[in-house]
Amino acid sequence: MIGSLSRTTPVIVQGITGRMGRAHANLMRAYGTNIVGGTSTRATPEGVDGMPVFTSCAEAVAATGAVASVVMAPPDGTRVAVEEAISAGIKLVVTPAEGVPVHDAMAMGRAVKAAGAIWVGASNPGLAVPGEMKMGFLPDVTLAPGPVAIMSKSGTLSYEVGYRLVRAGLGQSIWIGVGGDAVKGVRFADLLAPFNADARTHAIALIGEVGGAEEEEFAAVLAATKGSKPVYALIAGREAKEGVAMGHAGALTYGGAGTLAIKTERLEAAGARVFASIESMIQAMTADLAAHRRSS
Amino acid sequence: MLLIEADGKALFRAYGIPVPTGDEARAPATDGPWMVKAQVPVGGRGKAGGIRRCLTPQGAEAAAAAMKGARLKGHTVHSVLIEQAATGAERYLSLSVDPASYGVRVIYLAGGGMDVERAAEQGGAGVTCAPDRAAIADALSGLLTGDADRDALMAIGRKLADLLLEKELMLAEINPLFVGPDGAVAGDAKVVVDLNAVDLDRQPDIRAMIEARPGIYPDAIRKLQEGFDYVGLDPEGEIGLLTTGAGLSMMLIDELTARGGKPLNFLDIRTGQLRGSPQRIINALTWMAERPSLRVVLVNIFAGITDLGEFAGLLADALDATPQMKAPVVARLVGRGAGKAKEILAQRAPGMLVTEDLEESLGRVATIIGRPA
Repeated sequence: MIGSLSRTTPVIVQGITGRMGRAHANLMRAYGTNIVGGTSTRATPEGVDGMPVFTSCAEAVAATGAVASVVMAPPDGTRVAVEEAISAGIKLVVTPAEGVPVHDAMAMGRAVKAAGAIWVGASNPGLAVPGEMKMGFLPDVTLAPGPVAIMSKSGTLSYEVGYRLVRAGLGQSIWIGVGGDAVKGVRFADLLAPFNADARTHAIALIGEVGGAEEEEFAAVLAATKGSKPVYALIAGREAKEGVAMGHAGALTYGGAGTLAIKTERLEAAGARVFASIESMIQAMTADLAAHRRSS
Repeated sequence: MLLIEADGKALFRAYGIPVPTGDEARAPATDGPWMVKAQVPVGGRGKAGGIRRCLTPQGAEAAAAAMKGARLKGHTVHSVLIEQAATGAERYLSLSVDPASYGVRVIYLAGGGMDVERAAEQGGAGVTCAPDRAAIADALSGLLTGDADRDALMAIGRKLADLLLEKELMLAEINPLFVGPDGAVAGDAKVVVDLNAVDLDRQPDIRAMIEARPGIYPDAIRKLQEGFDYVGLDPEGEIGLLTTGAGLSMMLIDELTARGGKPLNFLDIRTGQLRGSPQRIINALTWMAERPSLRVVLVNIFAGITDLGEFAGLLADALDATPQMKAPVVARLVGRGAGKAKEILAQRAPGMLVTEDLEESLGRVATIIGRPA
C-alpha cells in the first residue's frame, strides 16, 4: 500500500468540515492529492469547497472508492475515527493528532492489525510521495522528488532535513512521519523492506529520538537484511532529561533504556551511519548522492 | 512520565499491593533498620548515592536531612522517604505497555536488584500478552510455574494488572519485590504514567498527585496547565530556547551543548496552537527571565503551516510585555512568510538578528556568550 501511493490514490478527510480539516483538505488537494471527499458529524449536503461530505466512512467509501483516510480529530476522538475507517474498508489511515492516550493507541493498533490495514501516526505530520501526493501537512517547501526515503519520529526535525536536502539539489522518494508517540501505527522497522523495494529510493534517512526501542528494532531488521540501501541516521535527545517526556510522549528515557548511546551502538553495528548534527548528515548524503542531484 | 517512588507506592497501596511502612517527614515508629530514599524521578538512585540503610531513627533522619536539597542525577531532592527496611527473598515483577505488539509485557525474575533491572531493560525478557486482566494473569501464571511463592505472587500480579489497565499506565514495576513469611512487599515502585490520558481528564487521581508536588513535577504541571512543553534543563543555563517541534528542539539542544553552549530549557511551543495570542510566548520568556544566568534567547521556528508574519507580530508583542527579559534575541525564522517576519521585526525589534540560516543564528549566539556555541 505504502509503495503504491500516487496522485490517483483516492483519499478522504475525516472531520473535513472542521477548521483544520477543511484547511488541510484544501492544502493537500492543492499539492496534488486526490481528495475525493470527507466525513463530518454535521450533515453537509452541499459539500465543502467542491468536495462531497458524508456522515460516515462507510458512505464515503461506497460513494468514492476511497482507500486511504486522513483523520482530523481531537486526541480523544482519534480511536473511534480510526475504528470507523478500518471497518469501512479503508486500508491506510493517517492520524496527525497529538496527545492520543497510550491505551487508546494499543486498542487502535490491535484493530488495525486485525483488519490488515496500515496506520500511520499519531503525533506526526503525515506522509508524502513528493511530486505525487501528501497526506497530512508536510510543508511543500520541504518536498521535492528525489532519491532519499525519510522515516521520522519528529515533524520539525524532518522538515529541517527535507528542506536542506531540497536546497542541496536532492529530494525524497517517499517520506513517512511515524510520529513521536510511544505506541503508534507504522514503526521504523516496518519501513525498511518497503523502502528497499522502492525503485526511486537510493538512500534511507532515519530521524529518531531517544526513548522507546524503535531504533533498536530497526537496527535488528537492518542487520538481518542483505544488501540494504545505505541508512543515514540522526537521533535527537543526547541531552534529554531523564524521566521527563521531551515534548513527544515517546521521547522518555529512564534507568538507562532508550538512550542515544544504545541506539547509536545498535545502528552502527547494523551498518547504518549515525550523525551528531543535521549539517554533517546532509553533507554526507550530498556527497554520496551526487549522481542523483536534480540538474535544475 | 516517571513518578517518584512515594507516589508510585501510593498507587500500589490504593490497589492493595503491600508496601513498607514509611513517611516523608520522619522515621516511622517501626522496628529498624530503616531505608532512606531520595525521591527523584530517575532510575539508578542506589548507585548514585540516593539510597541509604540506617540502623537508628536518628541516623535515618540525619541521612534524610543531608540528602534534602542536594542534587541527584540532575534533579534537586525535594523529598526523602524513610521506610522500615523490608526483608525476604528479592524478586522482580513488572507489567509494561509493549509498543511493538500492542500488548502488555509481563516480566518476572526470581532474582531482584539493580542488575536484574538492567538485564530486563536490555534483553526484552518476559512474555507479551493482550492488554486485559485475564491474559495478563495467564501470562504471569505461566512464568510462575513451579515457583514456591506462586499464590502470593499471583495475588500481587492481579492487583498490578488492575492498576496498569485502570490507571492507563505505561509501566508498573516492582524491584525488588520482597517475598518473606508474611507475604510479598513492594520494596520499590517505578510507575510511568501517560500524561495524555491525564491531560484528557481521564485520570483525575494522577493529576491531583502530580499537581500536589510542584517542586518535583514542574515540567508536567506546566504541560497540563499550559498545553505545551517547557522543560527546565540546566538551572545555570545561558541560552533560552524559543522553539517549536520536539525533535528539532532536542536536536538544537544537543548541537548547542556539543559546541560548549549551555541551554536553559527545552521548548515545544506549538506555533500552530497560538491562535493569535502571544500568551505562550510571554510565559516562556517570563520563565527564562527568572533565571539570572540567561544571556541570550534563540528563536528557531520552521514554519510549514504557521504564518511567520503573524508569529513575528506575536513575538514582538510578547517582548513588549516582558520588559524584565533583558537578554538579546536571535531569531532564525524559515518557511512561510519569512520575508514579512523580517520586515516586522526590523521595525518592532530593531537590532535583533533575523535570519533564515540556522548556522548563522548559532554563530551570533556564540558571539553573544563570548565563546563557541
